[in-house]
Amino acid sequence: MALLETEALTKQFSGLTAVDNVDLTVESGETRAIIGPNGAGKSTFINCITGMLEPSGGSVVFQGEDITGTPSHEVVQRGISRSFQTASIFPGMTVWENVQIAAFGTQHGSFRFNFLRHRESFPEVDDLTGEILGAVGLVDDAEVAAANLPYGDKRRLEIAIGLASEPDLVFMDEPTAGMSPEETNHTVDLLERLKEELGLTIVLVEHDMEVIFRVSDRIAVLHNGRIIAEGEPEEVQGDEDVQEAYLGGVEL
Amino acid sequence: MGGDDLRSDGGAVAPGEASVLDRARALAGRDGAAIVGTIVALIVFPYLLIDGLGMLGDLIGYRIGGYEGLASLVLIYGIVVIGFNLLLGYTGLLSFGHAAFFGTAAYAAAIFSAQVYGSPLLMVLVGTVVATLLAWPIGFMSIRRSGVYFAVLTLTFGQMLYFWALGPGAWLTNGDNGFSGVQVADLFGTLRLEGIVPFVGTWMYVFVAVFMVLAVAVASRILNSPYGLIFKALGENEQRVSFVGLDVFRYKLMAFVISAAFAGVGGSLFVIHESYIHPTTALYWITSGDFVIMTVLGGTGTLVGPVFGAFVFEYISNVISGVSLPVIGAIGSLWRLILGAVFVIVVWWLPEGIYGAIKEGVAWGVDRIERDRGQPAADGGED
Repeated sequence: MALLETEALTKQFSGLTAVDNVDLTVESGETRAIIGPNGAGKSTFINCITGMLEPSGGSVVFQGEDITGTPSHEVVQRGISRSFQTASIFPGMTVWENVQIAAFGTQHGSFRFNFLRHRESFPEVDDLTGEILGAVGLVDDAEVAAANLPYGDKRRLEIAIGLASEPDLVFMDEPTAGMSPEETNHTVDLLERLKEELGLTIVLVEHDMEVIFRVSDRIAVLHNGRIIAEGEPEEVQGDEDVQEAYLGGVEL
Repeated sequence: MGGDDLRSDGGAVAPGEASVLDRARALAGRDGAAIVGTIVALIVFPYLLIDGLGMLGDLIGYRIGGYEGLASLVLIYGIVVIGFNLLLGYTGLLSFGHAAFFGTAAYAAAIFSAQVYGSPLLMVLVGTVVATLLAWPIGFMSIRRSGVYFAVLTLTFGQMLYFWALGPGAWLTNGDNGFSGVQVADLFGTLRLEGIVPFVGTWMYVFVAVFMVLAVAVASRILNSPYGLIFKALGENEQRVSFVGLDVFRYKLMAFVISAAFAGVGGSLFVIHESYIHPTTALYWITSGDFVIMTVLGGTGTLVGPVFGAFVFEYISNVISGVSLPVIGAIGSLWRLILGAVFVIVVWWLPEGIYGAIKEGVAWGVDRIERDRGQPAADGGED
């Protein structure tokens, strides 16, 4: 059974169709890349699935359940987490607290009535926090304010926050954007390792072709809100429509 | 400046007491440190305010000493703004309608005392419960919008209550004449609130001070609970909070309701203290704005910072306004001008508020002294 399935997913903004009847199936355990030129609708597509935007039409099915239009926090509770294009962290809080807050969401659900209990009295939360920080290699920075981390570590922290939700599926919106080649390498290594250790399914939006070819099992190419090609990296690379979409139909 | 450095009051504690406090702190844990510090500060506060400033006033020739009632009043507003700060300083929600909860609690407590029984404890209970219940629907409707829309919605609900109390609700509130039928009974049936307590003042002050200690204890507990973390996270990056699977709306609503409960305690104590309540002091939007000013003046990022703001605010409005200067004459209603100037100075130069500046100053002073003595630095400042 497919882990995630969108059927005719559509999003319109006053006349503009940003996502146009997209059918996409993500199998459990795969790493799927979504590529496409700027403005192709990649981020809008993710936003429609993760509850940031209400789709205009179509449906999203996750683990056999219809989650179309479900609010973000419930989408996360069901097992989908995401990272953003710009590291979305809590800059004024420590690295530990950044991950701890996600661990609260995982262990206690979307809301709990516990405002008179000390937050260090939840061993299950602390265990998960420590485990995740260990997995991404930020244990030594646990007491550092997130704002003071170097950029690459901020992205890593964001990945850690996403993982602390114990997701089955992770959306990553350009996880290596703005990174140096070295940082990019580290991040890709990290992704591959985490995928193996945690059995994650990853949907990756990325521009860096090297990264894509290294990590993805299959690629979907989005152009003007539609999927114009889908398949294994080598297949997609040779596809005429894809080349036209990227190069604007210029004869080479 | 979070729960990690809750400290005793550096300004009020003599050096010899440090070891005693250390032991008390170790016994009571981190919440306890804030409480011990608060109790010490509350015992010396009336003395500093009335006698300390009074003597200073004699020296410089102006009457700048405080008076008995002012100490209680500062604490009453202090309780309100400790709660308000959970909303503004941590969760990042600017409410311009918290007079609604302050005033409703005041009226509820007043009416309860007139119609049922005037036990001060029951009055506080009734006022707080009513304010808390009112906060659910108002919060529910306001929190759907953020930023300036949230502020305007809360302002609107507050003003609706104000005009209701002034006109249509006059059968209950006595409208523009104010509600003067407050019947405050003796505390526990035996202690007159006006009765004198050696050194600290009256039972009224002790009564209010006990609630201040409770307010600090509860607020400290909340800040050290998961909610403290989540409130702060909401203030920093709301979107991320929902993307760790937490229900942003319900946590914001909780912040709103909790802050309203503090306002309710303050409002109830206010009416016990004044024995009279009028829509303008209780419910008018200026009162809501005063809470904002006190909180920002004192410093938004710390537990007790806003109390310092409440002190400066009430001191200027009640004492400085009575000072008569050469040439200009009596300050009187010009006190808002002085307050405005102080506010501008604080916002420009002391981004951490008055309390933040005091803490930095104390830390600097302690550091200097320790360096002169060549000893390791001890605690300084209260959180």
